[in-house]
Amino acid sequence: MKFRPGRIIAYLFLIVLAVVGAAPFLYLVVLSTKKRIEILAQVPPKLTFTWVQAAKNYNEVLFSQGMLSFTLNSLIVVSIATAIALVIGTPAAYAFSRLRFQNSERLASTILSMRFMPPIAVAIPLFLMVKAAGLQDSYPGLILPYVAFSLPLVVWIMIGFFDEIPGEIDEAALIDGCTRVSALWYVMLPIVRPGLVTAALFGALFIWNEFLVALYVIDSRAFQTISLGAATLVSAQRPIDWNIAATVGVVTVIPILIFSLFVQRYIVRGITAGAVK
Amino acid sequence: MSIAAPASAKFVFGTRDRPGRSVWLLLGPCIAYLVIFSIYPLFHSLRLSLTDLTAATGTGNFVGLDNYRALLVDPQFWNAAWNSAVMVSLSVAIQVVLGVALAMFFNLQLRGSWIVRGILLLPMLMTPIVVGVMWRALLNPDWGLVDWAIKAVGLTPPDWLGTVSMSMVTVIMVDCWQWTPFVFMIVFARLQALPQEVFEAAQVDGAGPVVTFRRITLPMLRPAIVFAAVFRAVDAFRSFDLIYGLSYGGPARSTTTLSFFSFQNGFQFQNYGYAAAVAYMMLIILAVGTTVLLQYVQLRPGNSR
Repeated sequence: MKFRPGRIIAYLFLIVLAVVGAAPFLYLVVLSTKKRIEILAQVPPKLTFTWVQAAKNYNEVLFSQGMLSFTLNSLIVVSIATAIALVIGTPAAYAFSRLRFQNSERLASTILSMRFMPPIAVAIPLFLMVKAAGLQDSYPGLILPYVAFSLPLVVWIMIGFFDEIPGEIDEAALIDGCTRVSALWYVMLPIVRPGLVTAALFGALFIWNEFLVALYVIDSRAFQTISLGAATLVSAQRPIDWNIAATVGVVTVIPILIFSLFVQRYIVRGITAGAVK
Repeated sequence: MSIAAPASAKFVFGTRDRPGRSVWLLLGPCIAYLVIFSIYPLFHSLRLSLTDLTAATGTGNFVGLDNYRALLVDPQFWNAAWNSAVMVSLSVAIQVVLGVALAMFFNLQLRGSWIVRGILLLPMLMTPIVVGVMWRALLNPDWGLVDWAIKAVGLTPPDWLGTVSMSMVTVIMVDCWQWTPFVFMIVFARLQALPQEVFEAAQVDGAGPVVTFRRITLPMLRPAIVFAAVFRAVDAFRSFDLIYGLSYGGPARSTTTLSFFSFQNGFQFQNYGYAAAVAYMMLIILAVGTTVLLQYVQLRPGNSR
């Protein structure tokens, strides 16, 4: 083998990139296995870790501090809101992809531009609406706004997927007597399944990470979502218990990490949606 | 006259498709939902911004443009606007340059580089609140890993989050850690989709790598770069959670951006009218900004060429 210094430098750079990307998270994992005092005393932290202390931290965070119930709240809110957004958004995306009606382009870009709306612009009115409806501290109080946030995202991603399917396929279904609605249901949905996964994933990720609306709408600990719970846990205690803060961080990220391992290619598809063709 | 097809609609498909009804069946729920939960709140917000509603007074009185007038002479508003401008412009500039460089690097197709590409997805997926807290640990002046590493090579680390001059730099740095991979992914996907013949032709014509990059690669990547830059600019502009977790707007308001300023007025001081006015100023800036930027690219998926 020929010695090629360029290659070696390139590989070293690749390793540096991997470290920069992953090390902060791994550091968090290491801190989450330490005692409070160890974090302050061991610099850098020793990589030896005791299961006992790790178990203590995670037990404290999941059960005493309630992160497990926050996670469950998030799972409930995320799955219901994402499902509703898919049910409402997918037909709309299909219509935008296939039907040309008056102002269809303008309507589509209006919906897509809502993807860029700062949540802060609607957080207060949404909060007042939720309050007026008596839905503070409830799942619907979060789900209703969250569907609105993820809808533009779902429409955006699904239009891209529908556009990729040749028009002949659903036209054939129409000739065979389908209506647009039944063609979507029987013919298009099975084909566009990867798109549904991608859209669901991004809708879900957005809701999982959402913080501002939850901060306004939720007062009681019983209904806190995972990001809200994490935020209150690390800001309520001053000075922060860093081992607990790190454990909270790991608990928030692990579900996303596991999820993304299985659906990596959908993630890349979703990120680049609309950017390349 | 009567034979003329309804001018209102041109349908992709002919008579079997009863378009009028399908359109409303397919689109109706989505539009209705967005009208109730996005458009209406936007107008509600506008109305709020014209009142003096606070949680204390309960009933807001119409005060016209008073909130806006007050904003324009509020030094804290201008401070926040300036911070937002600094954060957006520097974040986007750095992320675009690094993202394009990374895309070119990964285009070398080193064996195993797909693993690192997977790792680079992680920052983007992390909850922004946690990203903020995580970096507060890494940058802790007493025991943080980053400061230890800098001291280990004999340098003095800056006081990342403790000083006015440094804190915004730190916020931008963390934003770049989280979102440069986003720019990279988009540019890289475009790069992979470029026709190879063009590069072969350039090679035949004797173009060196620098000329090829400047004259061929970069122009062909332009739509993807603009797309990524617009996305990042908008997201950085409205970014809130990261600042909440990392610096909480401080020290001395040095990282209070418009989003955070609106949040403080709305949530902490419960001065809803004023907060809504700040949010509306943001919307105006966003609308003007994106309209100008979108002149360059058609953002609808499918015809972004």
